[in-house]
Amino acid sequence: MATTALHPAAPAVRGGLYEWLTTTDHKKIGMLYLVNSLVFFALGGILALVVRLELAQPGMQFIDEAFYNQAFTMHASFMLFLFIIPILAGFGNYAVPLQIGAPDMAFPRINALSFWLLPLGGALMASGFLASGGAAASGWTEYPPLSGPAYHGTGTDLWIMGLVLIGTSSILGAINFLVTIFRMRAPGMTLFRMPILSWTVLVTSVLVLMSTPVLTSALIMLFIDRNYGGHFFDPANGGNAVLYQNVFWFYSHPAVYIMVLPAMGIISEVLPVFSRKPLFGYKAFVFATVGIGALGFSVWAHHMFTTGQVFLPFFALMTFLIAVPTGVKMFNWIATLWRGKLVFSTPLLFAFGFLTMFLIGGLNGAFSAAVPVDFALHDTYWVVAHLHYVLFGGSVFGVFAGIYYWFPKMTGRMLNETLGKLQFVLMFVGFNMTFFPMHQLGLMGMPRRIADYASTAGWTELNTLATIGGFTIGLSMVPFLWNVMVSLRNGRIAGDDPWEGNTLEWATSSPPPPYNFDHLPEIRSERPVFDARHGRTATH
Amino acid sequence: MSLPPRSRASSGPLIAGTLIVVVIGIAIVALLAAGITPQRAWESFFPVGGQPVVTDRAHATRSLYDVVFYIAAAIFLLVEGLIIFTAIRYRRKPGDEELPPQIHGNNLIEIIWTVIPLGIVLFLFVISWQTLNTVDAKAATGDVHVRAVAARFQWKFDYLDGPDGPNAKVVYEQLLPVGDDGGLVLPVGSPVHITLTSPDVIHAFYVPKFLFKRDVVPGKLNNFDFTVDTPGTYRGQCAELCGEFHGSMLFEVHALPQADFDAWMAAAVKKAQQSPPPPPSGAPAGSGAPAPSGAPAGSGAPAGQAVQEAAHNIAFVNQNLSAPANTPFAIEFDNQDAGQPHNIEIKDAGGAVKFKGDLVIGPAKATYDVPALPAGTYPFVCTVHSNMTGTITVQ
Repeated sequence: MATTALHPAAPAVRGGLYEWLTTTDHKKIGMLYLVNSLVFFALGGILALVVRLELAQPGMQFIDEAFYNQAFTMHASFMLFLFIIPILAGFGNYAVPLQIGAPDMAFPRINALSFWLLPLGGALMASGFLASGGAAASGWTEYPPLSGPAYHGTGTDLWIMGLVLIGTSSILGAINFLVTIFRMRAPGMTLFRMPILSWTVLVTSVLVLMSTPVLTSALIMLFIDRNYGGHFFDPANGGNAVLYQNVFWFYSHPAVYIMVLPAMGIISEVLPVFSRKPLFGYKAFVFATVGIGALGFSVWAHHMFTTGQVFLPFFALMTFLIAVPTGVKMFNWIATLWRGKLVFSTPLLFAFGFLTMFLIGGLNGAFSAAVPVDFALHDTYWVVAHLHYVLFGGSVFGVFAGIYYWFPKMTGRMLNETLGKLQFVLMFVGFNMTFFPMHQLGLMGMPRRIADYASTAGWTELNTLATIGGFTIGLSMVPFLWNVMVSLRNGRIAGDDPWEGNTLEWATSSPPPPYNFDHLPEIRSERPVFDARHGRTATH
Repeated sequence: MSLPPRSRASSGPLIAGTLIVVVIGIAIVALLAAGITPQRAWESFFPVGGQPVVTDRAHATRSLYDVVFYIAAAIFLLVEGLIIFTAIRYRRKPGDEELPPQIHGNNLIEIIWTVIPLGIVLFLFVISWQTLNTVDAKAATGDVHVRAVAARFQWKFDYLDGPDGPNAKVVYEQLLPVGDDGGLVLPVGSPVHITLTSPDVIHAFYVPKFLFKRDVVPGKLNNFDFTVDTPGTYRGQCAELCGEFHGSMLFEVHALPQADFDAWMAAAVKKAQQSPPPPPSGAPAGSGAPAPSGAPAGSGAPAGQAVQEAAHNIAFVNQNLSAPANTPFAIEFDNQDAGQPHNIEIKDAGGAVKFKGDLVIGPAKATYDVPALPAGTYPFVCTVHSNMTGTITVQ
């Protein structure tokens, strides 16, 4: 066992608000991550509804073109950088030390710092709306020359500085996870007995550590171009506009896996528990996760097929190859369910939502890997459909599976099942109504990021449908928020292990005490709590 | 071990599943009621709603799309079917406390479902590469060379006398990106060479029915070749975010039979030689309108005070003009945007063009003589920038 001497630096009992503002407990920090991320989910969601409202009918009805561009830019920036990435880091923060039997993260104060950089960076980014000229408006990718000083004002600088802070938060968090996982696992918790969520957090942390500094370099170069007369990306002065795209996507494609792998980890926790079987092909799963992480560094230019400036066959091949480990995961999940005894509590419903939607997100991605087809589909609504099937149908459904799964552990109370199922149905129906028609719109030739379209283009009906779907997703948040508020006070008492879990977080009380465990069960497999419940020899 | 939550949860999937099936049923009924036939719904899964594509390269891309689509659809049905099957078949019955068989894995099956997908994606890669070689191939023949210039927020098409390069001479400059007297005019059946260039930010040349787009990167010269095989007018649009009015950066492709194209080209070149060459951008120019335009430049003597209008930063300075009814009047138009072509096109409420002024490249002034209009309210636009709008009240 790692002999970490822990000296509680302050008395255990502190006032409520003061405690939350100063805590270094990984569980409380994890919950802060979740709450902060959900706030930005709400803000990003409102911006998405503004965009959908404007697109419902041809003509500009509610906002002008300038604000439209700010709205979709900040929608994506909030959702990617301040919701999906941090909320998954939040689950990691909460669950990883528990799952590996550690008392806390390796560097608790750095952990608090990485959290507090997020609201700061987010506020900085959002303050662009108050700047003259408004917030950043060149898309979340902020391609120069459009994001250069000639076209956009202070909002873009605030966006850059906010994102640098968020990136710093990610890097600090990744180092913390790596040290925690490598140095603080409980006796018997070998790497190949580690729960899959912890594995995905490990691989994600490696991706963050290798790629986020590259993003920071792109942002700093852009900042120099904008403010200090640099010419990195300025073609009029010998710079190269496509260079930015290369550097940016060298981070941002691995970032897609940063946004998906931990959600896959959550699904890989939920499916075995609710089918009452072990995860099928545990080691194949680990290798597939590592494989996706490694291949993720060699596909960045598939976002740039139409630039005419990248070597197409190599990136097409690598992009196709990444489908293989992803497919392995999908088949292993189904095999886990196969001949199980499925208990359809809300976490499993959301996990099924993940499987069915992420499958579509994988298959429609294959179209863009076929380069000539990508020439037709790139930057159309097809791509908007694809990325939302991966990041919403995949990651966000995974996030809600995780919330319903760990809420009892975090609070000691169960969420209401009926409200949870209502939320699932509304979200599932609304999601498909919003994003499935976007395939058709993209095939018909509707480009993304346009504020308006002609009434003769034939895109009106599907856009109206997508807007109705968008508001249905918004509506699905009502039962969720109601559920959380009611269940926090009056939810059924959960007990230590309401789902008959497999992993160590279910071996301690709900909520767990500071430093997590009074004593640990023996760890002889990847399911120590299952072994303790059923006896290891009886069932193997 | 007591299991309170489990025994209560077993009706969950039935309710949720039933609700989802009901919603899908309502959706299908709604689609049928809206006149969307199964045939149309099926075709919506194919590029441009199943309509024929119109270049030689687009046919290759369409064939590739079909292969990818059918493979993806087969995998979708198989895997989605397995997922739904498990949800129905393997639900836990109330009161069933026994553990299912604890299967940890099977190496043979892992190898099978690694190797088969690997084979599928390698096949897709090979056919994609082959199609890519067709789509990216350079045409050896063909003497139509066009340099498409994308600038915020309009397209311009320069017809060149030979392959684009430092020595290429512009024989005709098409300033109007849309309309019967504008657009990218191309011959059917002979190869066309396009080069792309931008003076400001990144744009993208995109024609849905070509199943093709290519970025217009400032500082780089992208080029591609193709042959249009069907006469017609095809919609095109900028596909890379370029600023506020990205969505209105439209153009049209007019594909004409070879003889018609040759006649059009000869007329255009002749017109270009008659009128003075367009002034270099930024240079002050006279009031002469360089653009060849078939629009009626107006006739009849202006009477009374001229109406003042100016264009600044891709917008009309006065968005509400007024003019006398039933008498010809003049508009003094001041284009203050350096290098930008603007004009004034007046329409009636039904969208029919009542007057279309010649394009003026700023900074420059022009006087438009507008024929008599009956009393009423008329919207006007800049033909190049559909986001530049205003209203003229005639009373």
